[in-house]
Amino acid sequence: MDSDHEAYILLLLSDSNLPTGSFVASAGLESYVTHGFFTDLAPSPVPSPDKMDYTVNFLRDSLSSYAHSALPFVLDAHVIVEEALRDAQADEDTMDRVLGRLRELDELYEVMTLNHVSRRASKTQGVALLTLFSKGFSKPRLTKHLPTSDPSSVPESESRAATLLERLKFLVRREDTHGHLPVCWGVLTAALGLSSERSQYLHLFLQARSLLSASVRLNTIGPYAAQQLLLHTVRPLVESEMSRCKHLTTRHVTSHDPTTGNMPEDEDAAWRGPAMTWPLGEILAARHDLQHSRIFNS
Amino acid sequence: MSVRSIQPGHGRIVVRNDGFSNVFSELSAAYPLKLLSPQLSSSNVSVVYMLSYGGGLVGGDQIQMDVEVLHGAHLALLSQGSTKVFKTRPGQRLSARTESNLTTRQRLQVHVSSKSALFLLPDPVTCFSAARYHQTQVFRLAKDSSAVLLDWVTSGRKSLGEDWAFSRYYSVNEVWIDDQRIARDATLLEERDDQGSLTPRTLAETLAPYSCYATVIMYGELVENTCRNLAAAYSAITVFKQHAPPSLIWSLSTICDGKGCIVRVAAKETEDVKNWLGKALVDFEGVLGVDVFRRTFS
Repeated sequence: MDSDHEAYILLLLSDSNLPTGSFVASAGLESYVTHGFFTDLAPSPVPSPDKMDYTVNFLRDSLSSYAHSALPFVLDAHVIVEEALRDAQADEDTMDRVLGRLRELDELYEVMTLNHVSRRASKTQGVALLTLFSKGFSKPRLTKHLPTSDPSSVPESESRAATLLERLKFLVRREDTHGHLPVCWGVLTAALGLSSERSQYLHLFLQARSLLSASVRLNTIGPYAAQQLLLHTVRPLVESEMSRCKHLTTRHVTSHDPTTGNMPEDEDAAWRGPAMTWPLGEILAARHDLQHSRIFNS
Repeated sequence: MSVRSIQPGHGRIVVRNDGFSNVFSELSAAYPLKLLSPQLSSSNVSVVYMLSYGGGLVGGDQIQMDVEVLHGAHLALLSQGSTKVFKTRPGQRLSARTESNLTTRQRLQVHVSSKSALFLLPDPVTCFSAARYHQTQVFRLAKDSSAVLLDWVTSGRKSLGEDWAFSRYYSVNEVWIDDQRIARDATLLEERDDQGSLTPRTLAETLAPYSCYATVIMYGELVENTCRNLAAAYSAITVFKQHAPPSLIWSLSTICDGKGCIVRVAAKETEDVKNWLGKALVDFEGVLGVDVFRRTFS
Protein backbone atom coordinates (compact mmCIF):
# COMPACT_ATOMS: atom_id res chain seq x y z
CA MET A 1 0.00 0.00 0.00
CA ASP A 2 1.48 3.38 -0.88
CA SER A 3 2.14 5.70 2.01
CA ASP A 4 -0.22 8.44 0.82
CA HIS A 5 -3.11 6.02 0.68
CA GLU A 6 -2.16 4.53 4.05
CA ALA A 7 -1.85 7.98 5.59
CA TYR A 8 -5.31 8.89 4.36
CA ILE A 9 -6.85 5.67 5.68
CA LEU A 10 -5.24 6.36 9.05
CA LEU A 11 -6.77 9.83 9.11
CA LEU A 12 -10.15 8.35 8.27
CA LEU A 13 -10.00 5.66 10.93
CA SER A 14 -8.80 8.12 13.57
CA ASP A 15 -11.76 10.39 13.08
CA SER A 16 -13.57 10.65 16.39
CA ASN A 17 -16.84 10.95 14.50
CA LEU A 18 -16.40 7.49 13.04
CA PRO A 19 -19.53 5.55 13.97
CA THR A 20 -17.98 2.63 15.82
CA GLY A 21 -20.08 2.41 18.96
CA SER A 22 -17.12 3.17 21.20
CA PHE A 23 -18.83 6.29 22.46
CA VAL A 24 -20.86 4.32 24.99
CA ALA A 25 -17.99 2.16 26.22
CA SER A 26 -15.76 3.21 29.08
CA ALA A 27 -13.87 -0.11 29.30
CA GLY A 28 -14.59 -0.30 32.99
CA LEU A 29 -13.46 3.22 33.85
CA GLU A 30 -16.84 4.32 35.12
CA SER A 31 -16.99 1.31 37.43
CA TYR A 32 -13.40 1.99 38.57
CA VAL A 33 -14.37 5.52 39.58
CA THR A 34 -17.65 4.49 41.22
CA HIS A 35 -15.96 1.80 43.30
CA GLY A 36 -13.64 4.36 44.82
CA PHE A 37 -10.38 3.70 43.02
CA PHE A 38 -9.68 7.38 42.55
CA THR A 39 -8.13 7.25 46.00
CA ASP A 40 -4.63 7.10 47.29
CA LEU A 41 -4.19 3.35 47.79
CA ALA A 42 -0.63 3.37 49.00
CA PRO A 43 0.01 6.32 51.28
CA SER A 44 3.42 7.65 50.45
CA PRO A 45 5.55 10.68 51.31
CA VAL A 46 5.22 12.16 47.82
CA PRO A 47 2.41 14.69 47.24
CA SER A 48 -0.89 12.89 47.07
CA PRO A 49 -1.95 11.88 43.55
CA ASP A 50 -4.62 13.77 41.71
CA LYS A 51 -7.27 12.71 39.25
CA MET A 52 -4.83 12.82 36.40
CA ASP A 53 -2.62 10.29 38.19
CA TYR A 54 -5.54 7.98 38.85
CA THR A 55 -6.63 8.30 35.25
CA VAL A 56 -3.19 7.24 34.10
CA ASN A 57 -3.19 4.36 36.60
CA PHE A 58 -6.34 3.10 34.96
CA LEU A 59 -5.11 3.81 31.46
CA ARG A 60 -1.91 1.85 31.94
CA ASP A 61 -3.44 -1.17 33.67
CA SER A 62 -6.41 -1.33 31.33
CA LEU A 63 -4.54 -0.82 28.08
CA SER A 64 -1.87 -3.28 29.10
CA SER A 65 -4.43 -6.01 29.69
CA TYR A 66 -6.34 -5.11 26.55
CA ALA A 67 -3.18 -5.22 24.44
CA HIS A 68 -2.33 -8.62 25.85
CA SER A 69 -5.75 -10.10 25.30
CA ALA A 70 -6.87 -8.46 22.06
CA LEU A 71 -3.80 -7.77 19.92
CA PRO A 72 -3.14 -11.46 19.18
CA PHE A 73 -6.64 -11.65 17.69
CA VAL A 74 -6.17 -8.46 15.69
CA LEU A 75 -2.97 -9.86 14.24
CA ASP A 76 -4.28 -13.33 13.44
CA ALA A 77 -7.51 -12.05 11.87
CA HIS A 78 -5.51 -9.55 9.84
CA VAL A 79 -3.10 -12.18 8.57
CA ILE A 80 -5.89 -14.56 7.56
CA VAL A 81 -7.69 -11.90 5.53
CA GLU A 82 -4.60 -10.27 4.07
CA GLU A 83 -3.30 -13.59 2.78
CA ALA A 84 -6.63 -14.44 1.17
CA LEU A 85 -6.94 -11.06 -0.51
CA ARG A 86 -3.41 -11.25 -1.86
CA ASP A 87 -3.95 -14.70 -3.28
CA ALA A 88 -4.69 -14.32 -6.98
CA GLN A 89 -6.02 -17.87 -7.08
CA ALA A 90 -8.51 -17.35 -4.26
CA ASP A 91 -11.90 -18.79 -5.04
CA GLU A 92 -15.16 -19.51 -3.26
CA ASP A 93 -13.54 -22.37 -1.32
CA THR A 94 -10.76 -20.10 -0.12
CA MET A 95 -13.29 -17.61 1.15
CA ASP A 96 -15.22 -20.38 2.89
CA ARG A 97 -12.03 -21.46 4.62
CA VAL A 98 -11.22 -17.89 5.59
CA LEU A 99 -14.63 -17.46 7.16
CA GLY A 100 -14.19 -20.75 8.97
CA ARG A 101 -10.89 -19.63 10.45
CA LEU A 102 -12.32 -16.25 11.43
CA ARG A 103 -15.19 -17.98 13.21
CA GLU A 104 -12.70 -20.10 15.16
CA LEU A 105 -10.82 -16.98 16.21
CA ASP A 106 -14.05 -15.28 17.15
CA GLU A 107 -15.12 -18.26 19.25
CA LEU A 108 -11.76 -18.35 21.01
CA TYR A 109 -12.07 -14.68 21.91
CA GLU A 110 -15.55 -15.36 23.24
CA VAL A 111 -14.41 -18.17 25.56
CA MET A 112 -11.38 -16.18 26.68
CA THR A 113 -13.43 -13.09 27.55
CA LEU A 114 -15.23 -14.43 30.60
CA ASN A 115 -16.96 -11.21 31.48
CA HIS A 116 -20.44 -10.55 30.13
CA VAL A 117 -20.02 -6.77 30.05
CA SER A 118 -16.82 -6.86 28.02
CA ARG A 119 -18.30 -9.44 25.69
CA ARG A 120 -21.31 -7.25 25.07
CA ALA A 121 -19.20 -4.16 24.40
CA SER A 122 -16.90 -6.08 22.10
CA LYS A 123 -19.73 -7.51 20.00
CA THR A 124 -21.48 -4.17 19.63
CA GLN A 125 -18.34 -2.46 18.42
CA GLY A 126 -17.30 -5.37 16.22
CA VAL A 127 -20.44 -5.44 14.12
CA ALA A 128 -20.36 -1.64 13.93
CA LEU A 129 -17.03 -1.91 12.12
CA LEU A 130 -18.39 -4.38 9.59
CA THR A 131 -21.36 -2.12 8.97
CA LEU A 132 -18.97 0.81 8.64
CA PHE A 133 -17.11 -0.91 5.85
CA SER A 134 -20.16 -1.69 3.77
CA LYS A 135 -22.07 1.52 4.44
CA GLY A 136 -19.32 4.00 5.14
CA PHE A 137 -16.48 2.98 2.85
CA SER A 138 -18.24 1.72 -0.25
CA LYS A 139 -18.19 3.99 -3.27
CA PRO A 140 -21.43 6.03 -3.56
CA ARG A 141 -23.21 6.49 -6.91
CA LEU A 142 -22.93 10.31 -7.19
CA THR A 143 -23.38 10.17 -10.97
CA LYS A 144 -22.93 13.92 -11.33
CA HIS A 145 -19.52 13.93 -9.62
CA LEU A 146 -17.88 10.57 -9.72
CA PRO A 147 -17.26 9.00 -13.14
CA THR A 148 -19.03 5.65 -13.10
CA SER A 149 -16.40 2.97 -13.29
CA ASP A 150 -17.41 -0.19 -15.04
CA PRO A 151 -17.42 -3.20 -12.72
CA SER A 152 -14.47 -4.84 -14.44
CA SER A 153 -12.20 -1.98 -13.52
CA VAL A 154 -12.73 -2.52 -9.79
CA PRO A 155 -9.70 -4.40 -8.49
CA GLU A 156 -10.47 -8.08 -7.87
CA SER A 157 -9.18 -7.90 -4.30
CA GLU A 158 -11.44 -4.96 -3.52
CA SER A 159 -14.59 -6.76 -4.57
CA ARG A 160 -13.41 -9.90 -2.78
CA ALA A 161 -12.87 -7.84 0.37
CA ALA A 162 -16.33 -6.36 0.10
CA THR A 163 -17.88 -9.81 -0.34
CA LEU A 164 -15.92 -11.23 2.57
CA LEU A 165 -16.99 -8.52 4.97
CA GLU A 166 -20.56 -8.76 3.76
CA ARG A 167 -20.57 -12.50 4.40
CA LEU A 168 -19.02 -12.02 7.83
CA LYS A 169 -21.61 -9.41 8.73
CA PHE A 170 -24.33 -11.80 7.59
CA LEU A 171 -22.94 -14.51 9.88
CA VAL A 172 -22.99 -12.09 12.79
CA ARG A 173 -26.57 -10.98 12.11
CA ARG A 174 -27.62 -14.62 11.93
CA GLU A 175 -25.77 -15.18 15.22
CA ASP A 176 -23.55 -17.81 13.59
CA THR A 177 -20.56 -15.98 14.97
CA HIS A 178 -20.05 -13.32 17.61
CA GLY A 179 -18.34 -10.56 15.69
CA HIS A 180 -15.88 -9.54 18.41
CA LEU A 181 -14.11 -6.23 18.09
CA PRO A 182 -10.46 -7.35 17.79
CA VAL A 183 -11.34 -9.86 15.06
CA CYS A 184 -13.50 -7.39 13.14
CA TRP A 185 -10.81 -4.72 13.46
CA GLY A 186 -8.21 -7.08 12.02
CA VAL A 187 -10.56 -7.96 9.17
CA LEU A 188 -11.52 -4.36 8.44
CA THR A 189 -7.96 -3.03 8.38
CA ALA A 190 -6.77 -5.89 6.22
CA ALA A 191 -9.60 -5.17 3.79
CA LEU A 192 -8.52 -1.52 3.70
CA GLY A 193 -4.95 -2.48 2.95
CA LEU A 194 -3.41 -1.28 6.21
CA SER A 195 -0.35 -3.17 7.45
CA SER A 196 -0.87 -5.44 10.47
CA GLU A 197 1.50 -3.42 12.63
CA ARG A 198 -0.21 -0.14 11.83
CA SER A 199 -3.52 -1.84 12.46
CA GLN A 200 -2.47 -3.00 15.93
CA TYR A 201 -0.92 0.34 16.81
CA LEU A 202 -4.00 2.26 15.71
CA HIS A 203 -6.27 -0.11 17.61
CA LEU A 204 -4.41 0.56 20.85
CA PHE A 205 -4.30 4.27 20.20
CA LEU A 206 -8.03 4.41 19.57
CA GLN A 207 -8.70 2.37 22.70
CA ALA A 208 -6.63 4.82 24.76
CA ARG A 209 -8.28 7.81 23.15
CA SER A 210 -11.71 6.34 23.83
CA LEU A 211 -10.76 5.94 27.50
CA LEU A 212 -9.63 9.54 27.73
CA SER A 213 -12.77 10.71 26.01
CA ALA A 214 -14.76 8.74 28.59
CA SER A 215 -12.70 10.39 31.36
CA VAL A 216 -13.65 13.82 30.12
CA ARG A 217 -17.32 12.91 29.97
CA LEU A 218 -17.09 11.44 33.47
CA ASN A 219 -15.68 14.79 34.52
CA THR A 220 -12.59 13.23 36.04
CA ILE A 221 -10.24 15.27 33.87
CA GLY A 222 -10.78 18.22 31.57
CA PRO A 223 -10.38 18.27 27.79
CA TYR A 224 -6.96 19.94 27.88
CA ALA A 225 -5.66 17.43 30.40
CA ALA A 226 -6.90 14.66 28.14
CA GLN A 227 -4.89 16.10 25.26
CA GLN A 228 -1.79 16.35 27.45
CA LEU A 229 -2.13 12.71 28.36
CA LEU A 230 -2.73 11.72 24.76
CA LEU A 231 0.52 13.35 23.72
CA HIS A 232 2.82 12.68 26.66
CA THR A 233 1.54 9.48 28.21
CA VAL A 234 -0.38 7.52 25.60
CA ARG A 235 2.39 7.58 23.04
CA PRO A 236 5.05 5.90 25.22
CA LEU A 237 2.38 3.61 26.63
CA VAL A 238 1.19 2.38 23.23
CA GLU A 239 4.78 1.97 22.07
CA SER A 240 5.66 -0.05 25.14
CA GLU A 241 2.61 -2.29 24.81
CA MET A 242 3.21 -2.73 21.11
CA SER A 243 6.74 -3.94 21.59
CA ARG A 244 5.50 -6.31 24.27
CA CYS A 245 2.41 -7.65 22.51
CA LYS A 246 2.59 -7.21 18.76
CA HIS A 247 4.02 -10.68 18.17
CA LEU A 248 1.56 -12.50 20.42
CA THR A 249 -0.58 -14.98 18.54
CA THR A 250 -3.33 -17.51 19.16
CA ARG A 251 -1.52 -20.07 17.04
CA HIS A 252 -0.30 -22.11 19.99
CA VAL A 253 -3.68 -22.45 21.60
CA THR A 254 -5.01 -25.87 20.58
CA SER A 255 -8.03 -25.79 18.34
CA HIS A 256 -9.45 -29.13 19.26
CA ASP A 257 -10.24 -31.23 22.24
CA PRO A 258 -7.00 -32.69 23.56
CA THR A 259 -7.19 -36.47 23.73
CA THR A 260 -5.75 -38.47 26.59
CA GLY A 261 -2.00 -38.58 26.74
CA ASN A 262 0.52 -35.80 26.92
CA MET A 263 -0.76 -32.28 27.04
CA PRO A 264 -0.57 -31.24 23.40
CA GLU A 265 -0.53 -27.55 24.10
CA ASP A 266 2.94 -26.24 23.62
CA GLU A 267 2.83 -24.58 26.96
CA ASP A 268 5.95 -22.59 26.66
CA ALA A 269 4.64 -21.06 23.48
CA ALA A 270 1.08 -20.67 24.69
CA TRP A 271 2.13 -18.25 27.38
CA ARG A 272 3.09 -15.96 24.54
CA GLY A 273 -0.55 -15.97 23.51
CA PRO A 274 -3.54 -13.97 24.66
CA ALA A 275 -3.97 -13.47 28.40
CA MET A 276 -5.65 -11.15 30.84
CA THR A 277 -3.15 -9.23 32.93
CA TRP A 278 -5.39 -7.21 35.24
CA PRO A 279 -7.82 -9.29 37.32
CA LEU A 280 -8.93 -6.20 39.23
CA GLY A 281 -10.02 -4.58 35.98
CA GLU A 282 -11.93 -7.73 35.05
CA ILE A 283 -13.94 -7.66 38.26
CA LEU A 284 -14.68 -3.95 38.01
CA ALA A 285 -15.69 -4.17 34.35
CA ALA A 286 -18.04 -7.07 35.09
CA ARG A 287 -19.63 -5.05 37.90
CA HIS A 288 -20.51 -2.18 35.57
CA ASP A 289 -24.22 -2.98 35.50
CA LEU A 290 -24.41 -2.98 39.31
CA GLN A 291 -23.81 0.77 39.48
CA HIS A 292 -26.80 2.68 40.65
CA SER A 293 -26.39 5.40 38.07
CA ARG A 294 -24.21 5.20 35.03
CA ILE A 295 -23.77 7.07 31.81
CA PHE A 296 -21.91 4.37 29.89
CA ASN A 297 -23.00 1.01 28.61
CA SER A 298 -19.85 -0.77 29.74
CA MET B 1 0.75 -56.98 33.83
CA SER B 2 3.21 -54.20 33.07
CA VAL B 3 4.11 -51.64 35.66
CA ARG B 4 4.44 -48.22 34.19
CA SER B 5 7.25 -46.24 35.75
CA ILE B 6 6.34 -42.74 36.88
CA GLN B 7 8.36 -39.74 35.88
CA PRO B 8 9.52 -37.36 38.61
CA GLY B 9 6.78 -34.97 39.60
CA HIS B 10 4.10 -36.99 37.86
CA GLY B 11 0.92 -38.17 39.49
CA ARG B 12 -1.99 -40.20 38.31
CA ILE B 13 -5.43 -40.66 39.83
CA VAL B 14 -8.17 -42.86 38.48
CA VAL B 15 -11.32 -43.12 40.56
CA ARG B 16 -14.53 -44.85 39.63
CA ASN B 17 -17.80 -45.59 41.30
CA ASP B 18 -18.81 -49.24 41.39
CA GLY B 19 -22.43 -48.51 42.26
CA PHE B 20 -21.88 -48.42 46.00
CA SER B 21 -18.77 -46.41 46.66
CA ASN B 22 -15.80 -44.77 45.04
CA VAL B 23 -12.77 -46.90 44.33
CA PHE B 24 -9.31 -45.82 43.28
CA SER B 25 -8.01 -47.96 40.53
CA GLU B 26 -4.90 -45.81 40.48
CA LEU B 27 -3.31 -43.40 42.88
CA SER B 28 0.39 -42.84 42.32
CA ALA B 29 2.85 -40.01 42.45
CA ALA B 30 6.58 -39.40 42.29
CA TYR B 31 8.75 -36.89 44.12
CA PRO B 32 8.37 -33.93 44.48
CA LEU B 33 4.63 -34.63 44.21
CA LYS B 34 2.87 -36.58 46.90
CA LEU B 35 -0.75 -37.72 46.91
CA LEU B 36 -2.64 -38.70 50.03
CA SER B 37 -6.13 -40.09 50.27
CA PRO B 38 -7.53 -40.20 53.78
CA GLN B 39 -10.09 -42.77 54.79
CA LEU B 40 -13.29 -40.89 55.40
CA SER B 41 -16.38 -42.07 57.18
CA SER B 42 -18.74 -40.65 54.59
CA SER B 43 -17.78 -41.79 51.13
CA ASN B 44 -19.93 -39.71 48.86
CA VAL B 45 -16.78 -38.15 47.63
CA SER B 46 -13.22 -39.37 47.39
CA VAL B 47 -10.63 -36.94 48.64
CA VAL B 48 -7.05 -36.63 47.48
CA TYR B 49 -4.57 -34.19 48.93
CA MET B 50 -1.92 -32.95 46.54
CA LEU B 51 1.23 -32.14 48.45
CA SER B 52 4.77 -31.19 47.68
CA TYR B 53 7.70 -32.43 49.73
CA GLY B 54 9.11 -29.62 51.81
CA GLY B 55 5.87 -27.70 51.48
CA GLY B 56 6.95 -25.80 48.43
CA LEU B 57 8.12 -25.88 44.86
CA VAL B 58 11.23 -24.31 43.41
CA GLY B 59 12.32 -23.16 40.00
CA GLY B 60 12.68 -26.07 37.64
CA ASP B 61 10.15 -28.30 39.41
CA GLN B 62 7.70 -29.81 36.93
CA ILE B 63 4.54 -31.36 38.27
CA GLN B 64 2.12 -33.16 36.01
CA MET B 65 -1.10 -34.75 37.17
CA ASP B 66 -3.45 -36.87 35.12
CA VAL B 67 -6.82 -37.52 36.66
CA GLU B 68 -9.84 -39.52 35.60
CA VAL B 69 -13.15 -39.40 37.42
CA LEU B 70 -15.39 -42.11 36.09
CA HIS B 71 -18.76 -43.78 36.36
CA GLY B 72 -20.46 -41.27 38.57
CA ALA B 73 -17.64 -40.92 41.08
CA HIS B 74 -17.13 -37.64 42.91
CA LEU B 75 -13.57 -36.51 43.53
CA ALA B 76 -12.28 -33.64 45.63
CA LEU B 77 -8.71 -32.49 45.00
CA LEU B 78 -7.32 -30.47 47.85
CA SER B 79 -3.99 -29.32 49.22
CA GLN B 80 -2.65 -28.84 52.71
CA GLY B 81 -1.59 -25.27 53.11
CA SER B 82 -0.91 -22.89 50.30
CA THR B 83 1.35 -23.94 47.45
CA LYS B 84 4.52 -21.94 47.92
CA VAL B 85 6.69 -21.29 44.94
CA PHE B 86 10.28 -20.15 45.36
CA LYS B 87 12.79 -19.16 42.77
CA THR B 88 15.55 -21.39 44.08
CA ARG B 89 16.42 -23.46 47.11
CA PRO B 90 18.51 -21.61 49.69
CA GLY B 91 22.14 -21.96 48.77
CA GLN B 92 21.50 -22.97 45.19
CA ARG B 93 23.88 -21.55 42.61
CA LEU B 94 22.18 -19.60 39.84
CA SER B 95 25.01 -19.54 37.35
CA ALA B 96 24.39 -22.98 35.91
CA ARG B 97 20.68 -22.46 35.24
CA THR B 98 18.95 -21.08 32.21
CA GLU B 99 15.75 -19.08 32.34
CA SER B 100 13.43 -21.91 31.47
CA ASN B 101 15.00 -24.04 34.21
CA LEU B 102 13.95 -21.46 36.74
CA THR B 103 10.28 -21.70 35.87
CA THR B 104 8.13 -23.88 38.09
CA ARG B 105 5.48 -25.70 36.09
CA GLN B 106 2.33 -27.44 37.20
CA ARG B 107 0.07 -29.19 34.75
CA LEU B 108 -3.22 -30.79 35.58
CA GLN B 109 -5.29 -32.71 33.10
CA VAL B 110 -8.64 -34.06 34.26
CA HIS B 111 -11.26 -36.13 32.52
CA VAL B 112 -14.64 -36.12 34.22
CA SER B 113 -16.99 -38.62 32.63
CA SER B 114 -20.76 -38.60 32.40
CA LYS B 115 -22.51 -38.03 35.75
CA SER B 116 -19.18 -37.73 37.57
CA ALA B 117 -18.03 -34.67 39.45
CA LEU B 118 -14.78 -32.91 40.28
CA PHE B 119 -14.19 -30.44 43.07
CA LEU B 120 -10.81 -28.77 42.70
CA LEU B 121 -10.41 -26.84 45.92
CA PRO B 122 -6.74 -26.26 46.64
CA ASP B 123 -5.31 -23.63 48.95
CA PRO B 124 -4.05 -20.56 47.12
CA VAL B 125 -0.71 -20.34 45.34
CA THR B 126 1.82 -17.94 46.78
CA CYS B 127 4.81 -17.07 44.69
CA PHE B 128 7.77 -15.53 46.46
CA SER B 129 10.44 -13.13 45.42
CA ALA B 130 11.58 -13.53 41.81
CA ALA B 131 9.69 -16.82 41.38
CA ARG B 132 8.36 -17.78 37.96
CA TYR B 133 5.32 -20.02 37.86
CA HIS B 134 3.30 -21.52 35.03
CA GLN B 135 0.15 -23.47 35.71
CA THR B 136 -2.00 -25.16 33.08
CA GLN B 137 -5.19 -26.96 33.99
CA VAL B 138 -7.36 -28.62 31.36
CA PHE B 139 -10.70 -30.17 32.25
CA ARG B 140 -12.60 -32.37 29.83
CA LEU B 141 -16.18 -32.86 30.92
CA ALA B 142 -19.25 -34.56 29.51
CA LYS B 143 -22.49 -32.64 29.14
CA ASP B 144 -23.82 -34.14 32.35
CA SER B 145 -20.64 -33.89 34.42
CA SER B 146 -20.22 -31.34 37.17
CA ALA B 147 -17.17 -29.40 38.23
CA VAL B 148 -16.17 -26.72 40.69
CA LEU B 149 -12.73 -25.33 39.92
CA LEU B 150 -11.07 -22.94 42.33
CA ASP B 151 -7.87 -21.17 41.33
CA TRP B 152 -6.47 -18.48 43.58
CA VAL B 153 -3.28 -16.60 44.26
CA THR B 154 -2.03 -14.49 47.12
CA SER B 155 0.55 -11.76 47.37
CA GLY B 156 2.93 -13.27 49.89
CA ARG B 157 3.66 -12.52 53.52
CA LYS B 158 2.67 -8.92 54.06
CA SER B 159 4.45 -8.89 57.42
CA LEU B 160 7.71 -9.51 55.60
CA GLY B 161 6.94 -6.83 53.05
CA GLU B 162 6.20 -9.34 50.31
CA ASP B 163 3.60 -7.73 48.19
CA TRP B 164 3.27 -9.44 44.81
CA ALA B 165 7.03 -9.77 44.66
CA PHE B 166 7.26 -12.59 42.16
CA SER B 167 8.59 -12.37 38.64
CA ARG B 168 5.82 -14.16 36.76
CA TYR B 169 2.57 -15.98 37.48
CA TYR B 170 0.81 -17.50 34.48
CA SER B 171 -2.26 -19.61 34.99
CA VAL B 172 -4.58 -21.15 32.42
CA ASN B 173 -7.80 -22.95 33.18
CA GLU B 174 -9.47 -24.50 30.22
CA VAL B 175 -12.81 -26.31 30.24
CA TRP B 176 -14.10 -28.54 27.44
CA ILE B 177 -17.54 -30.08 27.20
CA ASP B 178 -17.08 -33.02 24.82
CA ASP B 179 -15.21 -31.46 21.91
CA GLN B 180 -16.18 -27.89 22.53
CA ARG B 181 -14.14 -25.47 24.58
CA ILE B 182 -16.43 -23.40 26.79
CA ALA B 183 -13.88 -21.44 28.78
CA ARG B 184 -10.23 -20.55 28.66
CA ASP B 185 -9.22 -18.32 31.52
CA ALA B 186 -5.64 -17.17 31.06
CA THR B 187 -4.14 -14.86 33.67
CA LEU B 188 -0.66 -13.43 33.34
CA LEU B 189 0.82 -11.41 36.17
CA GLU B 190 4.31 -10.31 35.36
CA GLU B 191 6.68 -7.80 36.89
CA ARG B 192 7.93 -5.59 34.09
CA ASP B 193 11.13 -3.71 34.66
CA ASP B 194 11.07 -2.14 31.24
CA GLN B 195 8.02 -0.10 30.31
CA GLY B 196 9.57 2.18 27.75
CA SER B 197 10.00 5.75 28.82
CA LEU B 198 7.33 5.54 31.50
CA THR B 199 8.29 4.90 35.12
CA PRO B 200 7.65 1.19 35.62
CA ARG B 201 4.39 0.38 37.31
CA THR B 202 4.77 -2.51 39.75
CA LEU B 203 2.47 -5.48 40.09
CA ALA B 204 1.75 -4.37 43.62
CA GLU B 205 0.45 -1.03 42.36
CA THR B 206 -1.63 -2.71 39.68
CA LEU B 207 -3.26 -5.16 42.08
CA ALA B 208 -3.67 -2.87 45.08
CA PRO B 209 -5.36 -2.85 47.51
CA TYR B 210 -6.10 -6.56 47.31
CA SER B 211 -3.74 -9.29 48.40
CA CYS B 212 -5.74 -12.26 47.19
CA TYR B 213 -7.48 -12.94 43.86
CA ALA B 214 -9.66 -15.98 43.33
CA THR B 215 -11.49 -17.43 40.36
CA VAL B 216 -14.12 -20.16 40.56
CA ILE B 217 -15.41 -21.82 37.41
CA MET B 218 -18.49 -23.95 37.90
CA TYR B 219 -20.44 -26.15 35.55
CA GLY B 220 -23.12 -28.79 35.68
CA GLU B 221 -26.19 -30.04 37.46
CA LEU B 222 -24.63 -30.11 40.92
CA VAL B 223 -23.79 -26.41 40.74
CA GLU B 224 -27.11 -25.18 39.35
CA ASN B 225 -28.47 -24.15 42.70
CA THR B 226 -25.29 -22.41 43.76
CA CYS B 227 -25.00 -20.50 40.48
CA ARG B 228 -28.62 -19.45 40.69
CA ASN B 229 -28.28 -18.20 44.26
CA LEU B 230 -25.08 -16.37 43.50
CA ALA B 231 -26.56 -14.79 40.38
CA ALA B 232 -29.55 -13.60 42.40
CA ALA B 233 -27.31 -12.16 45.11
CA TYR B 234 -25.18 -10.49 42.46
CA SER B 235 -28.03 -8.79 40.63
CA ALA B 236 -29.38 -7.55 43.94
CA ILE B 237 -26.25 -5.49 44.49
CA THR B 238 -26.46 -1.77 43.88
CA VAL B 239 -23.25 0.21 43.96
CA PHE B 240 -23.36 3.85 44.88
CA LYS B 241 -20.37 6.13 44.51
CA GLN B 242 -17.72 5.02 46.98
CA HIS B 243 -14.91 7.03 48.44
CA ALA B 244 -12.55 4.10 48.77
CA PRO B 245 -12.40 0.59 47.39
CA PRO B 246 -14.34 -2.05 49.34
CA SER B 247 -12.32 -4.56 51.33
CA LEU B 248 -13.83 -7.38 49.30
CA ILE B 249 -15.12 -7.24 45.75
CA TRP B 250 -16.61 -9.95 43.51
CA SER B 251 -18.12 -10.45 40.09
CA LEU B 252 -20.10 -13.15 38.34
CA SER B 253 -20.67 -13.99 34.68
CA THR B 254 -22.52 -16.96 33.29
CA ILE B 255 -20.89 -19.27 30.78
CA CYS B 256 -22.12 -21.95 28.42
CA ASP B 257 -25.63 -20.54 28.07
CA GLY B 258 -26.17 -20.41 31.81
CA LYS B 259 -25.15 -24.01 32.50
CA GLY B 260 -22.15 -22.69 34.36
CA CYS B 261 -20.69 -19.55 35.80
CA ILE B 262 -17.40 -17.89 36.60
CA VAL B 263 -16.99 -16.03 39.84
CA ARG B 264 -14.06 -13.77 40.69
CA VAL B 265 -13.33 -12.54 44.19
CA ALA B 266 -10.62 -10.28 45.53
CA ALA B 267 -10.01 -9.00 49.03
CA LYS B 268 -7.45 -7.24 51.17
CA GLU B 269 -7.16 -10.36 53.36
CA THR B 270 -6.97 -13.93 52.12
CA GLU B 271 -9.06 -14.98 55.10
CA ASP B 272 -11.92 -12.84 53.85
CA VAL B 273 -11.85 -14.53 50.45
CA LYS B 274 -11.83 -17.90 52.17
CA ASN B 275 -14.83 -17.01 54.32
CA TRP B 276 -16.68 -15.59 51.36
CA LEU B 277 -16.07 -18.76 49.37
CA GLY B 278 -17.23 -20.85 52.31
CA LYS B 279 -20.54 -19.01 52.29
CA ALA B 280 -20.90 -18.90 48.51
CA LEU B 281 -20.23 -22.60 48.10
CA VAL B 282 -22.14 -23.72 51.20
CA ASP B 283 -24.39 -25.94 49.06
CA PHE B 284 -21.44 -28.24 48.54
CA GLU B 285 -21.05 -28.98 52.22
CA GLY B 286 -23.54 -31.80 51.78
CA VAL B 287 -21.81 -33.23 48.74
CA LEU B 288 -18.29 -32.92 50.16
CA GLY B 289 -19.11 -33.78 53.72
CA VAL B 290 -18.78 -31.40 56.64
CA ASP B 291 -15.19 -32.40 57.50
CA VAL B 292 -13.76 -31.81 54.07
CA PHE B 293 -15.73 -28.61 53.61
CA ARG B 294 -14.68 -27.14 56.94
CA ARG B 295 -11.06 -28.12 56.37
CA THR B 296 -11.06 -26.25 53.09
CA PHE B 297 -12.92 -23.10 54.00
CA SER B 298 -12.10 -22.30 57.61
